[in-house]
Amino acid sequence: MTAADPAAELAKSCCAVAWSGDVVAMVLGESYHPGGLALTRALLGHLGLRDGNRVLDVAAGPGASALLIAADHPVEVDGVDLSPSSVDHANAAALEAGLGSRVRFHLGDAERLPFGDGVFDAAVCECAFCTFPDKPTAATELARVLRPGGRLGITDVTVTAGGLSGELAGLAGWVACLAGARPLEEYSALLAGAGLRTVHTERHDAALARMVEEIEARLRALRMIRSTVPALASVDLDRALDLCAQAAAAVRDGVAGYAMLVAVRE
Amino acid sequence: MIKVDRDEVFVELTRSICPVCKAVIDAQVNVRDDRVYLRKRCREHGEFEALVYGDARMYFDSVRFNRPGTIPLQLQTEVVDGCPLDCGLCPEHKQHACLGIIEVNTHCNLDCPICFADSGHQPDGYSLSLEQVDRMLDVFVASEGEAEVVMLSGGEPTVHPQIIEIVELCRTKPIRTVTLNTNGIRLATDPAFVRRLAELRVSVYLQFDGLRERTHRKIRGRDLREHKRRALDNCAAAGVAVTLAAALERGMNEDEVGDIVRFGVGHPAVRAIAFQPVTHSGRHLEFDPLTRLTNSDVIHLIAEQVPEWFRSDDFFPVPCCFPTCRSISYCLVDGGEVLPISRLVNPEDHLDYVTNRVMPDMRVRTALERLYSASAVPGTPQIAEQLECATCGIDIPAALRDLAQKAFMIIIQDFQDPYTLNVKQLMKCCVEEITPDGRLIPFCAYNSVGYREQVRERMTGVGVATVVPNATPLQAMLETTRHGSRSARRLR
Repeated sequence: MTAADPAAELAKSCCAVAWSGDVVAMVLGESYHPGGLALTRALLGHLGLRDGNRVLDVAAGPGASALLIAADHPVEVDGVDLSPSSVDHANAAALEAGLGSRVRFHLGDAERLPFGDGVFDAAVCECAFCTFPDKPTAATELARVLRPGGRLGITDVTVTAGGLSGELAGLAGWVACLAGARPLEEYSALLAGAGLRTVHTERHDAALARMVEEIEARLRALRMIRSTVPALASVDLDRALDLCAQAAAAVRDGVAGYAMLVAVRE
Repeated sequence: MIKVDRDEVFVELTRSICPVCKAVIDAQVNVRDDRVYLRKRCREHGEFEALVYGDARMYFDSVRFNRPGTIPLQLQTEVVDGCPLDCGLCPEHKQHACLGIIEVNTHCNLDCPICFADSGHQPDGYSLSLEQVDRMLDVFVASEGEAEVVMLSGGEPTVHPQIIEIVELCRTKPIRTVTLNTNGIRLATDPAFVRRLAELRVSVYLQFDGLRERTHRKIRGRDLREHKRRALDNCAAAGVAVTLAAALERGMNEDEVGDIVRFGVGHPAVRAIAFQPVTHSGRHLEFDPLTRLTNSDVIHLIAEQVPEWFRSDDFFPVPCCFPTCRSISYCLVDGGEVLPISRLVNPEDHLDYVTNRVMPDMRVRTALERLYSASAVPGTPQIAEQLECATCGIDIPAALRDLAQKAFMIIIQDFQDPYTLNVKQLMKCCVEEITPDGRLIPFCAYNSVGYREQVRERMTGVGVATVVPNATPLQAMLETTRHGSRSARRLR
């Protein structure tokens, strides 16, 4: 196991902060991962949830998926996120949705989950595993908090080995969730190393293409009004659009994609 | 005997009418070669078939966009003979009226070869009095409470001597939006009239079929390009928002779709374009029902001719009426940049009423419902408000509200005719003709079933022949009426 790269560590925090900020919210919309809540629902279908189960959402963001899980299933949900404002926002949303008794959000790091061993029947982690700088530790933590036979559902960005180049591999790419991504087989291997056996995978590349396109459209919309919005003056929208175009090309060329993976804790 | 199996998928059995005698008959919807057809047989007049949707996949996809109807406050008729003979609206109708049309006259300063209203310089027309319009508006308001949109049409409404008084009358009623459906001749020649329309907050629906001289001559009988240009410039100067309404006919102007879009986006008065395959009711050119233009054909034409701005999946079915009747795309326009709203928020995530794949945010759904509606009139404060609401639901900050001012809309509406009429669609129609005798008749029933002829006959006291589509397979049995439309030759 290699020590976490300090730049990547910084990026992880940057991500968590950035993703809770208004600028990103305006660009990404309320469903922060490709496929949106429809893909979340498809993922849940593979987890075999039963009444009274405890479910963990790692990198829960503003809580949309955790709330969906609790609304669809009679289960208890704990969400974890690195950003204090996301946690506050998510807890408020849970109360507003009348789900406060079954859904709780906690400040926490995926590499040091604030829960005891084997307490969860299922866990989800959407479009976040790719951003964890120390993936083996994150996998070990996920395995630790799941009970034997418990299921982990992941949806995440995938890249072909050595496929990314230029700016996308740098810090900007971290926010775009691409630079830390791995091939699907590598995710499986990482999880296997922690005792999580992959039982199902699906490709959802079109969902990533759609998300990149939505981000590009939002940037174009912002560019239309930039002259009337002082806060946008310092944002390099053209560079952001250029990054988008690179990301879109990566998806089109099959270098970057999106996948679902379901694993069982041995 | 050699057995030949069917080359089509039977989708459903519905009801339609015989295009010749208007008898109500069974009809089958079939899919052949990825296209959707309606076929029916009249005991007396034989078999008829028409293309109703050029893209079977889009036809089936649209089913999910079927929003449950809202019932009007008041109905005008009882169920007696069943749809489409009890119009209307009868208690079986599934939707209230988003848009009410008042045809203030049958007179027109043009005699277009294509006119579903069979209007023109005719001695036997009618022109409504202010009192008649007043009663019709009251019926509409009684049915709707606060009505959304009234469209003043004709004939040519701007030749009605009291058209301004009629608009002023509309403005005294609880009706949000008044639109004027016109050929633009008066707008081009009477700037004071245009300024008065602006003061009365009237939106204009301007007939605009293309930019080529041949298109004008074939569809309107005259080259009106200069009139259109001046009408639009006068509207821009006065601040009147315009929707360009283009009648599209196969082999005539379908190749002008892209040029119309580019022209509309570039003109300061134009806030929307409505593409309408020619309604084969009233007066029109000979056509082949099997190759007629449908909504999906027009959508694909736009995507082919303006690929830099639009794709076919930027257009979504309108959920308030039957989803195969009308599709809309909203976009933001800024200089040369055109950004379809569907790239920002996927309407499908919020307007899917059947499978409900995701939990729709109700604020976004409500806003989108108002945008993707037959009552959405571009350039009105309501649109800006709803666009704002739809975008705030996706966390775009308040500053983006400026974008609502840049909204542009493309509407595609395939009105039904006696060939394509499907009562399933008619029963959920939200565009109604308000008749002088106080009924609200679905627009396509009014044009197809014989109601238009009936109303004109009652209003003028002069007999009106039952109009039959000028379709290629029917040529042998047709004769020309005195208004220029066709009717069945009387056999001796």
